[in-house]
Amino acid sequence: MAIILFYGLALYALCGIVIGIAFVTLGLAQVLPHASVTAPARILWLPGAAILWPYVLMRWRQARAAAKTHRAL
Amino acid sequence: MSVGFRAVQWNRDKLVYDGILLAAVALFIAGFAAIHWQLHPPTKLPDAIDIWIRATGTCAFLMLTVILSIGPLARLDRRFLKLLYNRRHFGVLTFLVALTHFGFLLSWYLVQHNLPNLLTELTTWKDYAKFIDFPFKALGLAALLVLFVMAATSHDFWLLFLTPRIWKALHMALYVAYGLVIMHVALGIMQGEYTVLIPLMLAGGLGSVAVLHLIAGWRERRLDRGIAVSAEGWIAVGPPHAIPDKGARIVAASGAERIAVFRDGDEIGALTNLCAHQNGPLGEGRIIDGCVTCPWHGYQYRLADGCAPPPFTEKLITYRVRINRGIVEVDPQPLRPGTPAAIKCPSNLL
Repeated sequence: MAIILFYGLALYALCGIVIGIAFVTLGLAQVLPHASVTAPARILWLPGAAILWPYVLMRWRQARAAAKTHRAL
Repeated sequence: MSVGFRAVQWNRDKLVYDGILLAAVALFIAGFAAIHWQLHPPTKLPDAIDIWIRATGTCAFLMLTVILSIGPLARLDRRFLKLLYNRRHFGVLTFLVALTHFGFLLSWYLVQHNLPNLLTELTTWKDYAKFIDFPFKALGLAALLVLFVMAATSHDFWLLFLTPRIWKALHMALYVAYGLVIMHVALGIMQGEYTVLIPLMLAGGLGSVAVLHLIAGWRERRLDRGIAVSAEGWIAVGPPHAIPDKGARIVAASGAERIAVFRDGDEIGALTNLCAHQNGPLGEGRIIDGCVTCPWHGYQYRLADGCAPPPFTEKLITYRVRINRGIVEVDPQPLRPGTPAAIKCPSNLL
């Protein structure tokens, strides 16, 4: 039980770090297309993006889909 | 406000606030450790680390108590509003102190080469059913996780990204963290040490937070109940001169949102009392440079239509206002955000 919990948490954290880094470097331009974001602000947002990665991923996908629809129109 | 993001928007007031806060935290931890060192001189390294664990843990508990008290204190006395402005920096610092507490705990196990004992303690599931010997460190870890989520999402970006409703709900978890910390202490160190100081600190902290919230809530409820409503449902605010110039009176119909009725010279207008930024109490703010200014973070809106001045785009709900037999009245039916609704007051009534 303890081993499963440990590996589960480690997997969640690993996914969070990968998705968090991708989001603050690439995803922000899609989620906030008209905002300027400084590099220190991106670093500051990384822990939040990592811990809330399922929500971040969902919003990122929504923003990508909305951008595609906008381009198609 | 809505055009660009920086890591921290420093100004002189924030620097002073943070400087005082850091100095107070450093003084408390150093003072606590020094007194403990004198009373119980450590003979081994783990004993010395234990002093730092206690110092940082006590500091984090007191900081949480202060954070939870700032809100009701500011409602009871406007002088405490200054403490409210930078509460997020206070929260992040509290997380860092709690993290240091956890760091010292890990080093306490590490110097004795028994870190696996901590894991065993946390994963002995049958102990979770006990009162005595409950794995209280798990409660502390859970509180630390809540504080981490709050610190990590404290920036304005997260307010925009998560939406104010979700962000506010997430940050209400501070009360959960406080409860976890109280249980962490009550089931932990309080079980092992027979001193009156620990229960006194817990009861004092929890009691003061609860009493302040009750008094602030009771006072606001009493204010809401004292509002007169006309046959058409308009709420009487009072004569125009009773509304402070460049300030507001806050009113609310029964069960409805609070409305801030502002006066700027002879112009009277009504806006929702909730700031679009973080639901701050707009009616406790002032009119500065012709704009209603939120007391929490300085967000500004025009009194005439509730719109933030360009280039900002935030809009507030406005309410219709009239003067009936010398009394300012407000229609509690909200208008669409950004609808012009302010009126001019005849000079003979001011």
